[in-house]
Amino acid sequence: MKRRNFLQSVPITLGGMSLSAYANSPLLSDLACTLMDTDKVLVIIQLNGGNDGLNTVIPLDQYAVLSQPNIRQNILIPENKVLKLPGTNNALGFHPSLSGIHNLYKENKVAIVQNVGYPQFSYSHFRAADIWVSGADYNEVLNSGWAARYLASEFPNYPSGFPNMSFPDPLAVRVGGTITLGLQNQGVSMGIAINNAKDPLNLSGNLFTDPPTPGCLGKELSYTREVLRQTDKFGDAVQAAGDKGRNLSSLYPVANTPGAILGSQLALVAKLIDGGCKTRIYWLSTGGFDTHSSQVESADHTAGVHSGLLKGVSDAIAAFMDDLTLLGRADRVIGMTFSEFGRRIISNASGGTDHGAAQPVLIFGSNVIPGIYGHNPVIDPLSNVNSNLPMEFDFRSVYATILADWFCVGSADRDNILLNKYQNIGFLKPNNCLMTGVKSNQRYAGAKLIEAYPNPCADQVRIAFESEGGMVIIELLNQEGRLVQTVFNGYLESGHFDIACSMQKIPEGTYYLRIQNSVSEQVRKLIKARL
Amino acid sequence: MPALKPYTGTFGKPELLHLLRRTLFGVHQSDLNYFKGQSLDQVLDYLVPSTPALPSPPRRTYYSNTDPAKDQMEKYNDNGTVVTAVPFGETWVNTPLQTNFLVGSGNNRRANLKNWWTGLQIHQDRTLYEKMLMFYQTILVTQDVTLEDAILMYNTQTLYRKFAFGNYRELVRQITLDPGMLKYLNGDKNTKTAPDENYARELQELFTLGKGKDSQYTEDDVKTAARILTGWTVINTGIVNGKTQNILPQVVFNQSKHDTGTKVFSAFYNNQQINPDASIINDKDRALKELDQLIGMIFQKEEVSKYICRRLWNFFAYYDINDEVESEVIAPLSEVFRTYSNDPDQMKYVMKSLLGSDYFFKQELRGCMIKSPNDFLIGMVRQIGFPFPDSTQLEAQYYMWSYIVNGNANIGFIVNSPPDVAGWPAYYQLPVYHEMWFDTTSFPFRRGLYEAISRSSFALDKTVTYDPANNPSYGYKTKMNFADMVRDFDHPSDPNELINEALQIMLAPPVSDAVKSALKTNFLLNGQSRDYYWTEVWEGYSADPNTTDPRFRNVPSMLQNLFNYLMSSAEYQLC
Repeated sequence: MKRRNFLQSVPITLGGMSLSAYANSPLLSDLACTLMDTDKVLVIIQLNGGNDGLNTVIPLDQYAVLSQPNIRQNILIPENKVLKLPGTNNALGFHPSLSGIHNLYKENKVAIVQNVGYPQFSYSHFRAADIWVSGADYNEVLNSGWAARYLASEFPNYPSGFPNMSFPDPLAVRVGGTITLGLQNQGVSMGIAINNAKDPLNLSGNLFTDPPTPGCLGKELSYTREVLRQTDKFGDAVQAAGDKGRNLSSLYPVANTPGAILGSQLALVAKLIDGGCKTRIYWLSTGGFDTHSSQVESADHTAGVHSGLLKGVSDAIAAFMDDLTLLGRADRVIGMTFSEFGRRIISNASGGTDHGAAQPVLIFGSNVIPGIYGHNPVIDPLSNVNSNLPMEFDFRSVYATILADWFCVGSADRDNILLNKYQNIGFLKPNNCLMTGVKSNQRYAGAKLIEAYPNPCADQVRIAFESEGGMVIIELLNQEGRLVQTVFNGYLESGHFDIACSMQKIPEGTYYLRIQNSVSEQVRKLIKARL
Repeated sequence: MPALKPYTGTFGKPELLHLLRRTLFGVHQSDLNYFKGQSLDQVLDYLVPSTPALPSPPRRTYYSNTDPAKDQMEKYNDNGTVVTAVPFGETWVNTPLQTNFLVGSGNNRRANLKNWWTGLQIHQDRTLYEKMLMFYQTILVTQDVTLEDAILMYNTQTLYRKFAFGNYRELVRQITLDPGMLKYLNGDKNTKTAPDENYARELQELFTLGKGKDSQYTEDDVKTAARILTGWTVINTGIVNGKTQNILPQVVFNQSKHDTGTKVFSAFYNNQQINPDASIINDKDRALKELDQLIGMIFQKEEVSKYICRRLWNFFAYYDINDEVESEVIAPLSEVFRTYSNDPDQMKYVMKSLLGSDYFFKQELRGCMIKSPNDFLIGMVRQIGFPFPDSTQLEAQYYMWSYIVNGNANIGFIVNSPPDVAGWPAYYQLPVYHEMWFDTTSFPFRRGLYEAISRSSFALDKTVTYDPANNPSYGYKTKMNFADMVRDFDHPSDPNELINEALQIMLAPPVSDAVKSALKTNFLLNGQSRDYYWTEVWEGYSADPNTTDPRFRNVPSMLQNLFNYLMSSAEYQLC
């Protein structure tokens, strides 16, 4: 990865006097707050276990199929209980537990990115979570997180020289857990882990001054020493921000109700933001989404384990957004939720769902361009127990969008951070970065970007598609969402194209054709049959 | 392939300390004294025995009211008569909970089990046994928070204990049909019409083959293995004395739920087919044969031996398994694993080979593990010889154990409650592994714990003691006195020797003479330059520990400050 020399501890002077003279004076903290008010914050909420996206963002136009006994009748949310999304002609809605997020949606503060995944997939919780937080390809192991790579590109010398005058606070904060792979870069933790803002830390002068020896003992001793040092340095900054910050919302879930823990952690984040903490990324997680059985109550599908989990997430986020608004900090913050995978289309007889693939990702904040990105999945009545929602957006496109239009990372750096080119989905207001140029909006129109004929096809199919110029990727995915074949991958000028594709070696069945071109993408069903 | 090279170098005090730090929870002076002068083979024979007998089970020390007459815990109403199901001080492990209990007792049992296991670790024998059990809990995971059933958790742990140094394949075979595991990974709901892949996946991904590059089982293999495992379930209710009651969990096989079709595995398993053996009349025996064939097929893969040996190396030596470790340790050690694949003492041979290997004693691997919470906290109370009560003060004993359980929870480890089915991330999460145990969140809590253990008094008074009039635990009090610890040293009156002996117990990394001298001057000489300053105060204090002489009476607090300071170092986090 390319590293920029950027934003090291630039000496700040104030009327000719070094700022360090003011290190503990109120003047400094006032100055720090002035600086910080322009800083942007990303809050990442990881839903551990694999969230059932089909029961979270619910495609009501697919109910004729979904309600079949052999699909997911035993866990389906009654149509009249689904919280309809305005502007979708009642084709899409939220699980009834998501009333808080539904309200935010109506206030134009939520973007829903449908069917997010990656070609191929892993059903392993741990591998899939690693893929998501690292931004790796399915067959690639990365020892760094995408968020950490972003921070490392902005602060290439970290942790040497940190904290410093211009950046006294931790770059990233993991709330309520240990540092995730997502915040690790080449063995360096780009963030610190905290549980509360009160970590009184006072180490006396250190007698243990032996230099670390070569080899792993020296490596680990340097590591434990660094933790001791960072605990104290960043601990002071966090404690100061915590003392200064406020919580004004009365909506946070109370103890022993769904979302109480996540809510208290988000309240801490709001408090630190209000207190002037310049931390860019907060990473939180909440678990229990691995609902193989009994995810709903059989007598009332709107109740049960999954309902409680969603309510917790929704209520906590709604309270957090309320708090930020009351604090006057809402413009500085966006958040996203994701899970390591969605779940299978067909439910289990035990009222749960097995590990799946694509899932909806929610982006919230007053700087999103609200709405629905992508299309309702089309559920095949002939789905089998292995059927998954086909992926429409690559998950790294979500990251690319955040990097481009929130953290204002240029395209070359973005490609370095994400290790490839990914489209900007466009769910953030581009003026967040005062960028010029208006993005094409055609992807939401009804235009047909790709079409296969004949469909159903036999041994040969022709694929017609539109290119607006630039990188074009056309992929054939099977019903499980696995990549079967890359039909095309390369640069094309703008225009209409028509290519022939052999289906001879492809078994009969249902497939999906996916095109990605510049900022657009589309998925269409293709059936291979014996004609 | 080279054989695993045994260690043939000098086996002196540094080597003994390294071996004990990795096999026990902390090293106490008495452990050093016990093994003094023994050869590596002698020490290993003692440290890695054949699997010992089971310990006596956990005992009830919880109650809903300190007055026995008002206490409702573990009692039920039988036609107007209140019957005690589990008396105070007795074990609950053979007594299922019933719906007619006067108060819920399940959560108390779960906590009681955690306290008991932690107690066994604190009072461990001078062997690898308890640490080996921890290893099994990091790899063959069930979760107390998921099962919410102390009897199930106790049963699974009993399996770990029965196979501590036993045959790993047999352990995996038995745990496949362990009631707790069946419930935990949905094996009990796995039927031919609604197959559940959960156990079949983890069996391969986490328990046997892992996810290394040579583990090439397919998604279809997961599904096929799941089909073999269909039909097993757990029953917890039955008719007792004419009434439907909860009973101890029993595993039963239901032929109608079993997939009797042909199961064909992928090329990774040489396209092996596993079918019901029609010549076996008994349904359950026929299903067991399919299970045996499945386990046998998986263990035919060399990768199983390598995966387990990598996990062992990660747990007992260091997390970085580079090409050199792979060829010099994992490959030859996995050969040992395979050589003893049918031996009932398989893991004993594997562990003796690992711990006696030349590579294990490599200078650079000594002291480079970041302490797990267990190594830190249980190791700490064992190192310093914290005075725990014995079983004559049963309630006080469990009370103190619960303090350690809660302390461990604060620093990221809850016994019986790994965060998920993969166990604790510190043992598998690339790239930092056990560095995850120690960060800016856990360090302040670790600091709080060593401060409390070394400075606080612990007591049970009347308000929190069951049946105080008849309970020997009533009035229990304890507090650490570091002078008691130092008294067992070889030369406590010589400040240089005292610092040396304290450092070898407390810190794994070597410490320079300059640092030793600074420690001595700061903590033992009160800034004076002559060594006899300490000798005089120590001898004055030892002659009369209750002395009021202002020169001598501060010895315990001087030592407390010294040991606290050692525990505050970055070096103390390593072992």
